[in-house]
Amino acid sequence: MIVYTLKRLLAGVITVWFIATATFIAMHQVPGDPLLNDKAVSAEIRKNLERRYGLDKPITHQYLIFLRNMLPPNPDFGISFTQQNRRVNDIIKDHFPVSAILGLLAIFFSAAGGVLFGALTAIYRNRLPDIVIMFLVILGISVPSFVFAALGQLLLVNVNSLMGYSLIPVAGWGSFTHMLMPSLVLGLGTMALLTRLMRTSMLDVVNEDYIKTARAKGLSPQRIFFKHQLRNAILPVITVLGPQIAVITTGGFIVELVFAIPGLGRYFVQAVQQLDYTVIMGTTVFYGAFLVFMVIVVDILYGFIDPRVRVQ
Amino acid sequence: MSENILEVTDLSVEFTTYGGTVKAVRDVSFNVERGKTLAIVGESGCGKSVTVQSIMGLTPTPPGKITSGSAKLNGREILGLPTREANQFRGVEIGMIFQDPMTSLNPTMTIGDQIAETLMVHRGKSRRDAFNQAVELLARTHIPEATKRAKQYPFEFSGGMLQRAMIAQSLACGPAILIADEPTTALDVTIQAQILEIMLELQRTENMSIILITHDLAVVARIADNVAVMYAGEIIESGSVDDIFYQSAHPYTVGLRSAMPSNTGDRDKQLLPIAGSPPDLFSPPKGCGYYARCPYAMEACHESAPDPYTLTEGHIARCWLHHDDAPPTDVIHRVTR
Repeated sequence: MIVYTLKRLLAGVITVWFIATATFIAMHQVPGDPLLNDKAVSAEIRKNLERRYGLDKPITHQYLIFLRNMLPPNPDFGISFTQQNRRVNDIIKDHFPVSAILGLLAIFFSAAGGVLFGALTAIYRNRLPDIVIMFLVILGISVPSFVFAALGQLLLVNVNSLMGYSLIPVAGWGSFTHMLMPSLVLGLGTMALLTRLMRTSMLDVVNEDYIKTARAKGLSPQRIFFKHQLRNAILPVITVLGPQIAVITTGGFIVELVFAIPGLGRYFVQAVQQLDYTVIMGTTVFYGAFLVFMVIVVDILYGFIDPRVRVQ
Repeated sequence: MSENILEVTDLSVEFTTYGGTVKAVRDVSFNVERGKTLAIVGESGCGKSVTVQSIMGLTPTPPGKITSGSAKLNGREILGLPTREANQFRGVEIGMIFQDPMTSLNPTMTIGDQIAETLMVHRGKSRRDAFNQAVELLARTHIPEATKRAKQYPFEFSGGMLQRAMIAQSLACGPAILIADEPTTALDVTIQAQILEIMLELQRTENMSIILITHDLAVVARIADNVAVMYAGEIIESGSVDDIFYQSAHPYTVGLRSAMPSNTGDRDKQLLPIAGSPPDLFSPPKGCGYYARCPYAMEACHESAPDPYTLTEGHIARCWLHHDDAPPTDVIHRVTR
């Protein structure tokens, strides 16, 4: 298990290095000059910045500076080219926790909902609950998140006006109640996907020989469900959970925008629009590292649930 | 005559499918004596597995449906019980092992835990006690280093070892009957012999009955006391192992025997297959199911299903050739009355 974990971590570091390099190369292929904006900087500032990032040096030199600055334990992603007096590290530090909490809560909702509804549809296969849930699943997969975001807000507005006071805030950030609706909306698509996966997986497991063995052992249907079916059926769900964390945390910026949440996604998009070199590279590498880390966490979790993984 | 521990009479099972209703098992009757082995033999799809799975309440309903019959375990009816009541004999009085040990155990649970589970559920033991007893059970099926093995998962076991673990699991509550549904089909020959040896040994020490389902006549000859030959959902001949092998009274049994390789005699001798294939069970023939393939078929065989003829005590064959008016044949063992 330890060897397995170390191997995964090493592979992760290499992946992050690849991401960093690819981002760096892509950035330098983009035409334009971040320092020649509407608000052009003075020649002096320009010179300082060029010296600091080696922008007047050959590209290989710039790459080395970029890598050296990024090295742990104190990665320094530099200073934003467009926002006054803001270091990229500060932008990440201030806004990433917001995105992370939102994302993790969304993952929690989607995983719990997906497993629950998937199991329900499998138990009530081809009966009313199955048909209703599978209809909602198709809606969840095909309707884009900004529609759900708007509908969610509308629902909250109606609930609040019915209650006569603000039970759950419609937008903004701060308390736990602020998080509920956006994370639910953010997790909805993934929840639908996981429900469908869980349903298929449950139906596969029901026909496995070891379920017949469990019945021949005289176990109660409840025990067979919890001890034998659920754990085996959940494996494929965990497999897709890793990449889905990526989809949710990076895809959160629309929801962040609609609910006026100060997350990192907004800065990420803004930086790309404004060709803010340091912010783009900093946030991309950071996001990349985070997602690689989450995938590793999921893989290790997988090892705990499926003993076969530990040995290979 | 020894005591019957399980008496099955007139069991019929149907499956409803899109293509129609399959009459998988038709009026099957047999008895299992205490401490003896009954072998149910027949080719694929003849209803062997469905018969025992229906007794165990393992056939999915729907599409399956038990249309008639009874199965009495120590005089108590067990056929078609609701799950809660069926669970009082499943795994307790009747243990069961399956064809493919590789897929018959839960891949995400240790072997020891799976065996212990039976003891925890039926005997109310604590997890620790049950696990310790699981280790003993594994040792009784000759699994080396049972303590270490009990903590391992199915994927760390070989096929033969898994089948031993399955046997250990089915023995946990000291069942009166062990149902073995083709226990050696997925294993290679040397491992087959070991598994059969273990089953026989445990049968002696536990005074347990075995229902063995197989299509391997060599296995039958080795361990069975009584044999029921199934064809197209019916038992067409049943009797002691000697009756079946030495005084075969049904053309199908004779056909099976001539399709069997032998150690003695001419090495170049051709094995004789039975020509044709079994009838369509969506609409079973009104006469004898074997009519189309039988070299001795007569008009009567096509017209109506043969009665069971008792040749000697316990030796029964369903074949018109045993009717007093039937012409004599050279290979069928007949009793003249």
